[in-house]
Amino acid sequence: MVITGVLALLLAGCADEGWHGKNITGLMQELEFTLTDENGNTVTEEVFAGRPVAMYFGFTHCPDICPTTLARLAAASRRLPESVREDLQLAFVSVDPARDGPAQLGEYTGAFSDRMLGLTGTRKQLQALTRRYRITYGYDEPDANGDYEVSHSSAIFVFDAELEPRLMLLDSLEVPQMVEDLNRLLGSP
Amino acid sequence: MKLASAIVALVVLLAGALWWVGQVAPESPIEVGNARVRLVPGGGPMAGYMEIRNHSEDVIRLVGATSPAFGNVMIHRTIVSDGRARMEHQSDGVQILPGDSAVFKPRDLHLMLMQPRGALEVGDQVEIMLRFEGIAPAEWPVAFTVVPVTSQ
Repeated sequence: MVITGVLALLLAGCADEGWHGKNITGLMQELEFTLTDENGNTVTEEVFAGRPVAMYFGFTHCPDICPTTLARLAAASRRLPESVREDLQLAFVSVDPARDGPAQLGEYTGAFSDRMLGLTGTRKQLQALTRRYRITYGYDEPDANGDYEVSHSSAIFVFDAELEPRLMLLDSLEVPQMVEDLNRLLGSP
Repeated sequence: MKLASAIVALVVLLAGALWWVGQVAPESPIEVGNARVRLVPGGGPMAGYMEIRNHSEDVIRLVGATSPAFGNVMIHRTIVSDGRARMEHQSDGVQILPGDSAVFKPRDLHLMLMQPRGALEVGDQVEIMLRFEGIAPAEWPVAFTVVPVTSQ
């Protein structure tokens, strides 16, 4: 009876520990990259050092899911208690450097939040970053107009102030669930 | 006095009759509601959302769309599987059964509006011509309202 109870507790603990997203603490390497930001500057993970960051991988020629997810993230960050909100940085990494130059990125991220930093890089730089988090993306063949589709990871990665990956917020989460998870991870206990 | 009353009565009757005719007139075979374009800055493609209700007794199919405001319009669906998102071109269009509706909404069906021809602003109206099979006329112009990129 007792054993069953403990087992049930353990199983419940493993299932989701009450997070809406996925707890990835200890499962992946700390944040590390060299990329170009929306101002055209070469930056590393140091640009976020000392403060947590929520990072989404997408591209600006993605009219449906990218704006939907970024808008939810921006809305969630605005609903956080002031201390958490002021601390949390938002980042959008474009995996489509051929179309997303710094100016394009800056205009795009600015539409969601002035706290969101646009980043991109060479294919090699992007791969070095995305491999760390098992993020996959790929390009379709361009059509007659030269337009092409990019498939990409749909989750937001949240890193703590030490730049350790802690949480994956799936694109299916609604704003209140994101607020709850972000506040639980970053708010004072 | 009597004449005035009679005229008033006649006007009321006529108004009533007109109202009744309006009520029983055959309704439009389709109805498009909540038509909106989510504004994406930077000249990239945007998404159009709406709800199409099929009031007819026939199976209809949205097969295409064009707009003077965009160089190219396609019907897409976002598919998320194994944490990976991609868009799927609906080359056969979208079928709507009689009495049913098709909902174009974020993370699902959407009109992919490519190559915007001019700068749009929130609140603008954009005409999009929807092309159907199964109803006449086949083409239905719909006014879409431009909404902020942050709207869901």
